[in-house]
Amino acid sequence: MLLSLMKYEWRNLNADRTPLTITLLLGVALAYGAWNGSQWVSFQRSTIQSALQEETERLRGVRNEIPKVDAGEIKVSPFTDPRLPQALGRGPGARYAVMPPSALGALAVGQSDLYPYYFKVTTGSKQTFLNSDEIENPVHLLAGRFDLAFVLLYLFPLVILACSYDLVSAEKEGGTLALALSQPITLSALTMAKVLPRVALVMTLAVLLPFAGVVLGGADLAADGAVERLLFWMAVTVAYGSFWFALAVAVNALGRSSATNAMALAGLWLLFVVVIPSVLNVAVKVAYPVPSRVELIQATRVAGDAATRQGAQLLARYLEDHPEMAPAERGGIPDFGTVQVAVSEATERAVQPVLDRFDAQVAGQQRIVDRFRFLSPAIVAQSAFNDLAGASAQRYSHFLAQADEYHRQWRGYFVPRILRKVKLSAADLDQLPTFRYREEDLSDVAGRLQIALLGLLIPTLLVVFLGWRWLGRYPIAGA
Amino acid sequence: MLIATGLSKSYAGKVALHPLDLQIQPGEIFCLLGANGAGKTTTINLFLNFIQPSSGSAKIGGLDVTEEPLASKKLLAYIPEQVMLYKNLTGVENLEYFTSLAGGRHTPSELASFLDQAGLAGGDAGKRVGEYSKGMRQKVGIAIAIAKGARALLLDEPTSGLDPKASNEFSALLKQLSDSGAAILMATHDLFRAKETGTRVGIMKQGHLVATYATSELGHADLERIYLEHMHD
Amino acid sequence: MTMTLLIARKEFTEMLRDGRFRGAGAIVFTLLAGALLLGWQNHRDVSAQHRVAQEATRAQWLNQGKKNPHSAAHYGVYAFKPQAPLSLVDHGTDPYTGVAVWLEAHKQNEFKYRPAQDATAVQRFGELTGATVLQLLAPLLIVLLTFNAFSGERELGTLRQLFSLGVSPAQLSSGKALGVAAALGLWLAPAAILGSMAIAAASGQGEVMASAPRMIGMALSYLLYFGAFTGISLAVSAWAPSSRAALMILLGFWMMNGLIAPRVASDLAKTWKPSPSAFDFGQQMQLALAKGSDGHDPGARAKALEAGLRKKYKVDKAEALPVNLLGVRLQDSEDHGNEVFDQSYAALWENFAQQNRIHQMVAWAAPGLAMRSISMGFAGTDFPQHTHFAKAAEDYRRMIQRTMNDELTYQAPNTGAPYLAGNDLWKKVPPFEYTAPGAGWVAEQQAPSLGIVGMWFVGSAFLAAWSARRVRVA
Repeated sequence: MLLSLMKYEWRNLNADRTPLTITLLLGVALAYGAWNGSQWVSFQRSTIQSALQEETERLRGVRNEIPKVDAGEIKVSPFTDPRLPQALGRGPGARYAVMPPSALGALAVGQSDLYPYYFKVTTGSKQTFLNSDEIENPVHLLAGRFDLAFVLLYLFPLVILACSYDLVSAEKEGGTLALALSQPITLSALTMAKVLPRVALVMTLAVLLPFAGVVLGGADLAADGAVERLLFWMAVTVAYGSFWFALAVAVNALGRSSATNAMALAGLWLLFVVVIPSVLNVAVKVAYPVPSRVELIQATRVAGDAATRQGAQLLARYLEDHPEMAPAERGGIPDFGTVQVAVSEATERAVQPVLDRFDAQVAGQQRIVDRFRFLSPAIVAQSAFNDLAGASAQRYSHFLAQADEYHRQWRGYFVPRILRKVKLSAADLDQLPTFRYREEDLSDVAGRLQIALLGLLIPTLLVVFLGWRWLGRYPIAGA
Repeated sequence: MLIATGLSKSYAGKVALHPLDLQIQPGEIFCLLGANGAGKTTTINLFLNFIQPSSGSAKIGGLDVTEEPLASKKLLAYIPEQVMLYKNLTGVENLEYFTSLAGGRHTPSELASFLDQAGLAGGDAGKRVGEYSKGMRQKVGIAIAIAKGARALLLDEPTSGLDPKASNEFSALLKQLSDSGAAILMATHDLFRAKETGTRVGIMKQGHLVATYATSELGHADLERIYLEHMHD
Repeated sequence: MTMTLLIARKEFTEMLRDGRFRGAGAIVFTLLAGALLLGWQNHRDVSAQHRVAQEATRAQWLNQGKKNPHSAAHYGVYAFKPQAPLSLVDHGTDPYTGVAVWLEAHKQNEFKYRPAQDATAVQRFGELTGATVLQLLAPLLIVLLTFNAFSGERELGTLRQLFSLGVSPAQLSSGKALGVAAALGLWLAPAAILGSMAIAAASGQGEVMASAPRMIGMALSYLLYFGAFTGISLAVSAWAPSSRAALMILLGFWMMNGLIAPRVASDLAKTWKPSPSAFDFGQQMQLALAKGSDGHDPGARAKALEAGLRKKYKVDKAEALPVNLLGVRLQDSEDHGNEVFDQSYAALWENFAQQNRIHQMVAWAAPGLAMRSISMGFAGTDFPQHTHFAKAAEDYRRMIQRTMNDELTYQAPNTGAPYLAGNDLWKKVPPFEYTAPGAGWVAEQQAPSLGIVGMWFVGSAFLAAWSARRVRVA
């Protein structure tokens, strides 16, 4: 029976051209969002490509230069001699550590426009390469992107609310509710028959269009875990949409007028999508204030000054700790390159506690957000979408850790050679450490996503339960 | 068929219906007469289980409406003052929708014949309800009752606002339904139509059923007396 | 006029008695007051940090010990972007622009450390600031207060009554607008007082007078904006077939204006006037710089420079020059670098300015964009004022370089012997002082946006009056 009722509801909806309107609105928004996201991904890809091309050309240049320097055809200073490890490692030989956009990168821009996705790793200190921010008009960063995640987080709920805010109230106001309920059917069943066709339509669009976008956008679904991620994406979309449908039903179940329902639902939308997130944003900043980076700058400076002043002693101490790196012949004035090694290591060590404090504060903020995001399904869905599209802060930290490790490798290659005053040959260029990004383990992401899905499903079930109970007390007639 | 036993309803201390005892047999048309707020609609809503009784019970065909709401509704049909239908659907489609809510399945020709019996001609049945007059929508209501084979009918001011011709047609349809064995409860404040259509008349005043008469006993003089006594607050 | 006032008073009383309005108003007021309070606290903390850091960087500069002037130039100083007092109302682009820039030899650096990078992803939903409440929530409150101004009275049947009593449509709509203004003022006026107190507290001594015109400019712009929203709401209420339709239309407009338009405008701007990637920007600059000499490495340009000097001083050997060649060479490389930086950054900033002009075009359809721009402008947190500071910092950097290089050129011996300068030279560089532009400068920058909000205000008033004249009574 439910099926035949749904058929009628569908026919009724069709008479208003509701499905057409929804398909157009949501379809255009989703398509536009998908296109926008893919633009961003291709921008990142082309930037990465030019960086890698620059690297290849630069290294080729160095390779050609070395024999000429050997032959004395080119005159070089100790700062620019490509055979000296301290010169090569600081610039001409530098390589990029790159995090390519993930398979679903086009679905959400997320935090990826705020954090660097490539570093030029040198023997210099970490601070010298960490600040490779992408150029972007700050007004755009402020406004955010019209990507699929935006459409799903903001507009998708509105479409759901717009087509179901008067689900029951319109029947009551139109007078058809009494006639329908004088038939042997419960209000819950009737509501179900009315809501399901809408759910089917809206969810189909919201699930299939991003899928189409991903496929047409040329995403590599053969990539490891890409299909699983896409399935998770769909699950999050459906769970998030279900929450809003449940909310619409529950508000209808209170038996107020359509106008009141519309206002109440608009208010709830504002609460969940705008107010709770921005209040939470302020709350975490009050609970774990991240000091201005101005402090970090000062700390780095002070540490750097101290290390430079003690340069020669630092080197001596360093060599005592690492006797294996001592140059073959002792004595003589240590050159700039060798002192620099000791100074930058000492600076980094001194600054580390300050950096740790920043990380601890941000981690503290993240902990609060992780706990309190369940107050708003929008936050839960946002973090899940960012995770799935590889646009989360977690993925950035994952990349940062790998870049850090690579930086250590890089230094591990150059520092002993600097200290031992080794001269490099063209063949050594092939021995330089290379960076290869390892994608986050799907199991790590999946763990976070399961919690997110629960965080969407539990409130949904709660609202469904409330709605179902309220429907049982629905004032069909009179006061 | 329709039985109220000590049925009452009060809202927040205000009594809308004092304990009511009433039995309506198949083939009877019982007209509830009274001023606005006398408790007529409350009685009907109680039979429909749209509101919960404060005490007593309402039964349809032996089924308590609060305990077996769905089973009892299979037996009844309800025609409110305004039969409101989906404007964007045709008469036939509305009929099909509401009868499928009742679990019925009918062929198009059956549906057409129900509407025909209810007095809605084939041409009109295919039009969208948005173009219908009140009388035409009322006929769709009757058609739903016919399609369901309803054994109890609850009517709330069905003829108010109808022109005399439509009213007469409607009364005739009611007679047909009652002749085929339905028990009919009709709330109205049209004394004269009640006498003409009904088999019995009950007078309600401030939530009390103050008197019942068989219409055959009532003369025109009685009507005037009843009107002055009860209907004029 | 009395009739208008009478209507306004009735509207006002009715709203005050409406629990929904009281609730919504209280929420908006609480959020606004909370946002201002937290904004003030944050401003106080960050300003203190910046002040301390600015003093520390100065002290480091002065106490860097004996050094070659060029080493000092490499050591450099930091410039920390001060926080404007009004930024506590509107953070604007501040979270997305860096907080500090290193002023060193040879290079105009980018600003480092965008505060948003130290925040969680929730940041991207927006911050709870005065601006969020004023730009997003207050218009919504206006919509909820006015959407049924006409349609509600029509549905209630009171509209017939009113017109039968000889009330004119103009009186009715202006009365309603006044009533809404009074009701809204009831919540906003205390918040405005609170905000002014916070701003006054945040402004140091003597800065209060500088903040005042900005504050007034901001307040007046918001009033215009609210007026425009009221006018539109009244017009739609009069024109829409039902209250429900009016609510839907107005909610749709609110959405477009506040949430969709900013993003669409950004996307359009990025598509039509794409900005370069940081990588390309850096590469271009490197390429251009490589055409000069960096002062350390003698190249063709350096040789030409030396020849020119020999000619000028009529000597035939570099050693015989009365000036230090290294100093001249360094300044020459600075001059060349400055040309490159001027070109590169001018091009980049012009690119952003073009993008912002596209935003302005979209703002004709969505005045929220214009209001956002004005608000950031008066708050001192928009991009033009960021570049204003960046330019001041760069000028200061160039001044340091010139001072250091002049010292080398005219004081250092031209023998290649090591030359060390001390505290006397460091003191020749005055401390970095930055004065933010005044309200007049902001108003000039924001003229197009102010024009848009003004046009919307006037237009919506006409629209409200026109719709009221043609309102269906029943």
